[in-house]
Amino acid sequence: MRAALEDTLSILGQEVPLGRVDRELKKLWDSDEAKTRASLMNFAIYSEDAAALPRNNRLLEELTSEHACRAMLILFQPDGPAPRARAWINALCRPYEGKKIVCSEQLSFVLEGGNAAQVQNIVFAHLDSDLPLVVWWQGDLTSNFEERFYSEIDRLFIDSAEWTHPAAEFAMLEDACNGATSEFEVHDLSWTRSHFLRSALAGCFQDAVALRRLPHIAQIEITHAPGQKVAALLLAAWIAERLGLRLDDAAKEVRFSKRDGGSVSLVLAEGLAGCCVQRLALTGPDLRAEVAREPRCAFVRVCTSCDGHAREEMLPADVESEAELISSQLSRAHGTSIFIDMVPLLRRMLAKA
Amino acid sequence: MPELENPFQDTQMQQHRAQPCTLVIFGATGDLTHRKLIPALYNIAVSGDLPPQFKVVGFARREKTDEVFRAELCEANAKHSRQGHNEQMWGSFAQSIHYHRSEFEDVDGYRALAGLLDAFDKERGTVANRLFYLASAPEYFDQIMEQLRKAGLNNGIGDRWARVVCEKPFGKDLKTARHLNEVVNETFDEGDTYRIDHYLGKETAQNIMVLRFANSLFEPNWNSRYIDHVQITCAENLGMEGGRGGYYDTAGALRDMVQNHLFQLLTLVAMEPPTDLSADSVRDEKVKVIRALRRLTGPEAVGQNVVRAQYTAGSVDGVPRVGYRQEERVNPESRTECYVALRLFVDTWRWQGVPFYIRVGKQLPKKATEISVHFKKPPQVPFATSVMIPDSENTLVIRIQPDEGISLRILCKQPGQALFVQPVKMDFHYSNSFGKASPEAYERLLLDAMAGDATLFARRDEVENAWRFIDEIEKAWHESPSPPPMCEYPAGSWGPKAADEMLARDGREWRRL
Ligand SMILES: NC(=O)c1ccc[n+]([C@@H]2O[C@H](COP(=O)([O-])OP(=O)(O)OC[C@H]3O[C@@H](n4cnc5c(N)ncnc54)[C@H](OP(=O)(O)O)[C@@H]3O)[C@@H](O)[C@H]2O)c1
Repeated sequence: MRAALEDTLSILGQEVPLGRVDRELKKLWDSDEAKTRASLMNFAIYSEDAAALPRNNRLLEELTSEHACRAMLILFQPDGPAPRARAWINALCRPYEGKKIVCSEQLSFVLEGGNAAQVQNIVFAHLDSDLPLVVWWQGDLTSNFEERFYSEIDRLFIDSAEWTHPAAEFAMLEDACNGATSEFEVHDLSWTRSHFLRSALAGCFQDAVALRRLPHIAQIEITHAPGQKVAALLLAAWIAERLGLRLDDAAKEVRFSKRDGGSVSLVLAEGLAGCCVQRLALTGPDLRAEVAREPRCAFVRVCTSCDGHAREEMLPADVESEAELISSQLSRAHGTSIFIDMVPLLRRMLAKA
Repeated sequence: MPELENPFQDTQMQQHRAQPCTLVIFGATGDLTHRKLIPALYNIAVSGDLPPQFKVVGFARREKTDEVFRAELCEANAKHSRQGHNEQMWGSFAQSIHYHRSEFEDVDGYRALAGLLDAFDKERGTVANRLFYLASAPEYFDQIMEQLRKAGLNNGIGDRWARVVCEKPFGKDLKTARHLNEVVNETFDEGDTYRIDHYLGKETAQNIMVLRFANSLFEPNWNSRYIDHVQITCAENLGMEGGRGGYYDTAGALRDMVQNHLFQLLTLVAMEPPTDLSADSVRDEKVKVIRALRRLTGPEAVGQNVVRAQYTAGSVDGVPRVGYRQEERVNPESRTECYVALRLFVDTWRWQGVPFYIRVGKQLPKKATEISVHFKKPPQVPFATSVMIPDSENTLVIRIQPDEGISLRILCKQPGQALFVQPVKMDFHYSNSFGKASPEAYERLLLDAMAGDATLFARRDEVENAWRFIDEIEKAWHESPSPPPMCEYPAGSWGPKAADEMLARDGREWRRL
């Protein structure tokens, strides 16, 4: 295992002593005047999975072609023998408008043994000053996800689809968000992946007739890939919040009640492997709004039928690669709390589902 | 019944969302459509921002099928698209493109167009909004408007809108602009009229307001107490390539660039903070600046404050260039200026006594559009014994194109024993921070027109007030018995001496670009 890791480390660029990272970076830039260093933020990937190193390295390369940043790749192996930290630097360059070469810098750290405090120290010591800190915390939110660390974060990326204990980890996330010193915004990739379905669903109700039928829906149907139940529940929680539905606490299964007394059931079905949420339909008397994506298809099929009138169209589906997902989030205006506002409801749903 | 809100809408997180519509382009086989409009629409589609069920109808007079039209646009898109050309994406986008053959003056052609748009609506199962884009020469605007009206296309159906986008040039003087405005406004409400000024679609132009009003560092100093003068330069290192002399010789630098683009930049620099960011609040403030421009009436005032010139033979980047009058499709006795420099005053409380120097010209040494704000020098008392570099005021430079960015010149002590003060530059480049190219101006403007946001479009009173100012200069040049001279400068130089002298009389000089 350790030997395999050792082999991949060369992809990280030039190894430098940990205490000399800044000086070596300066040398790197001074040696080539044709290159321009660009940076808009600090973007750090935190992972405890050594096997993910090559993938993360590629991902940073892809991401920096869209978002100039100081990229940091942190591999933490808490079970290592004696604490040992190593560092690498690299320039990720691309042409800019065909004229000059613009580069982001990548710093990579591998930490074996040691503890959360050491990880924090390495990150804090190498931030590009005054620029925001964006962290992608991969895998489970472990006890290393500590207040001293997250209180410095501006934007946090997670992927709840990878979590081993969603209920506990959402609780941890909610606590972190409510912490007195934390002001970070959360982006759950599992939620981002269904963005195109949500936009397409909104498209169904651009139609005034369909919109008037919307309050009468009786059922939400969602088909998800195996292991992606949480993504489906997130989507259901969002629909419920948007429509002002309340979770029916008395019911054993997930079911919602409307303000006027009616109820809305949730039907989850497991589909094929592939796209995490594959089909979403809202149905009610004389209304069916359905958004579906075939596996590996670049389009979403959107069908709305109401009052005997049916309309169907294809829309481009969203991107799927992790780099593109993150990039699309970084490009969007931030400051919305839609996701985190849904978490309390989601946790109650998780307890039933 | 009141309109219901779509509860799912806010997932679409842009500030404003283009509304479902059909776009009709008049003059769709032309250069503008191929180089700018279609690539802009394609790039909007790639970003996923095109509204659902969107359609484009190209209107022109040559016979061709949808397939031929799409194939021509495909080739143009592959050449001009900012984010490259992907066959699959193009294939899906191209399905929305259609061609409609008709003469601009033929009302039956518009009736047939109405039929086509209705058929699209049937196919969609809902009525769409309609956006008419006039990408034709302005002499056709009258006809197009009249026929649109006759065919009843100028009114949206039910609660849907119908809007019109007009390309530049919007008139060639106040009279023609007024006429165009009357014709357009007989057909569409002013609120549905979008006059393009593509400079306003540029990222850096939009950033001027943010820079001024979102940074407490600048706004308190943004007035005659602290600012000595402002310069706006729009330099081009090209001449009349590609046969553009034909149109240019009928317009000239003042009409082609100053009346619209440079006045837009000037208003953004000089305007008061708007009460809110609605299109009308912003444009109310901009129009006040144009109205406050001190008028230049008569040949004497124009002679003192405006310099016009033509280039003579010279060389740019080592390549020999002919003089303006020797250019293809230019009258050999032309009296049209291809360089103009102006000394302007905005007579408001904020700008009392602060000159705004504007220059624009062809065949200058480099291509650059920049605004520079020159601050007053400090009293210098504590440095009485130091050696100051003479030209050493703080200067804030806003680079509009190319290499968009902002730089600030400040004074620093040069390392060493003695107190030498040196100007240094703090430089922000869009490329260094954002590292990716901004959307094309036309992408932003098309999306805004589809979303109903007119902030970045010129309003009728802006256009007319700008022409009123420009007309007096044109009158002094072309109608007075003793007009101010037409100066000359060799191609590849920074313009005529008279322009340098105009600033020298004020004890100032043009900034080195
Ligand atoms: N090109 C640019 O980069 C640019 C930039 C800024 C502003 N503009 C402005 O945009 C406008 C269009 O410029 P352009 O360069 O695209 O012009 P262009 O290449 O000359 O194209 C003219 C278009 O108008 C059509 N047309 C002309 N007479 C017609 C008639 N009687 N009936 C129907 N169609 C007719 C032509 O169709 P056929 O091909 O069928 O004859 C063609 O599609 C002008 O006002 C220009 O000032 C252009």
